[in-house]
Amino acid sequence: MVDILAETVNTAIIGKGLMIGGGFIGPAIGIGLIGGNYLQAVGRNPEAAKFLGQALIFVAIVELFGLLAFASIFIVK
Amino acid sequence: MIVGIFKQVAESGPSVHVAPAGVLEIGGVTITNSILYGWICGLVIAALLIFVARRVTVKPKGGLIQFIEIGVDFITNLVEGAFDDKKVGRKYVPFFVTIFFFILLNNWLGLLPFVGEGFRSGENPLLRPFTGDLNGTLAIGVVTMIMVYAASIVEAGGPLKYIRHFFIGSPKNPLYFGIGLLEIFTDLTRVLSLSLRLFLNITIGEIVIAVFAYLGHTVAPLTALPFFLIELFVAALQAYIFTILSTMYLAIAVNHASEHTDDEYLTEQDVPETIGVQTSGSVRGQV
Repeated sequence: MVDILAETVNTAIIGKGLMIGGGFIGPAIGIGLIGGNYLQAVGRNPEAAKFLGQALIFVAIVELFGLLAFASIFIVK
Repeated sequence: MIVGIFKQVAESGPSVHVAPAGVLEIGGVTITNSILYGWICGLVIAALLIFVARRVTVKPKGGLIQFIEIGVDFITNLVEGAFDDKKVGRKYVPFFVTIFFFILLNNWLGLLPFVGEGFRSGENPLLRPFTGDLNGTLAIGVVTMIMVYAASIVEAGGPLKYIRHFFIGSPKNPLYFGIGLLEIFTDLTRVLSLSLRLFLNITIGEIVIAVFAYLGHTVAPLTALPFFLIELFVAALQAYIFTILSTMYLAIAVNHASEHTDDEYLTEQDVPETIGVQTSGSVRGQV
């Protein structure tokens, strides 16, 4: 069964698709949490709006893991 | 002209280049398309900034000079604010301003329509964005981190004293030794994380624009335009993030060095032998 599947289906494409899908879920949730919490903080205390730059740094840190997942699809053959 | 180039992209399919390709060879050294465009961009950026620096007055005329001034002012405030002592921060402002403008203008110049598929040399594109190449961003990252390490060592007063800052207690304690080694390892991954973030953001932007120009076919400029605008924003954001992260790496090391001028580290005597002894002593004394 597995042999037939490996011969008839291009497993690399499936692997790449799963990699992109799975790898982007985490950063998506993370960036959503950062953005949501930033807006909540601004809503409670409008003076916190000046910390947008700091929030963007954390976006960049979280985003790196999604980008690494994207970069990995070029290794899968 | 722009429409024609987009059409050419649309008809040839979404071509995705992640690795640079050699275009010429000088004395056995292959010159890739990204380093070629990097040189051109470097010359353009140097000429632009020298031109602006000659014309800075109290009341600047023209949008370009004001734009550069706003950028310089922004990064100056950012770097000075990150350090405890503003005078120490002032010394490093020129370096970070240079890095910021080099990355920002390289990212923006890489978005020009003739970069990528516009001109070809053989099968490969003649020009490629410099920051869309891992070699380019790795070079920027290595230069930045060498500068950060050198400045940290100078501020700490010697390489051994700098390394000593990674250990919160005596290195003879195996726990503190292990934690210190992990800290040093974390520090060394910063080169990779800085350069990979910049490279992947710009490369993904190129790929997304190419894909949507291909999907648009005859109306390629319209479909690619929103992503082009997003990429303009991402380019500025990545330049900002690269600058502020490297500033933070330096500021943390320098601020930490100025806090511990003497041997204020935890010594063997400061660490309680067991937690029970410490709590019974201090808590009972206070209560």
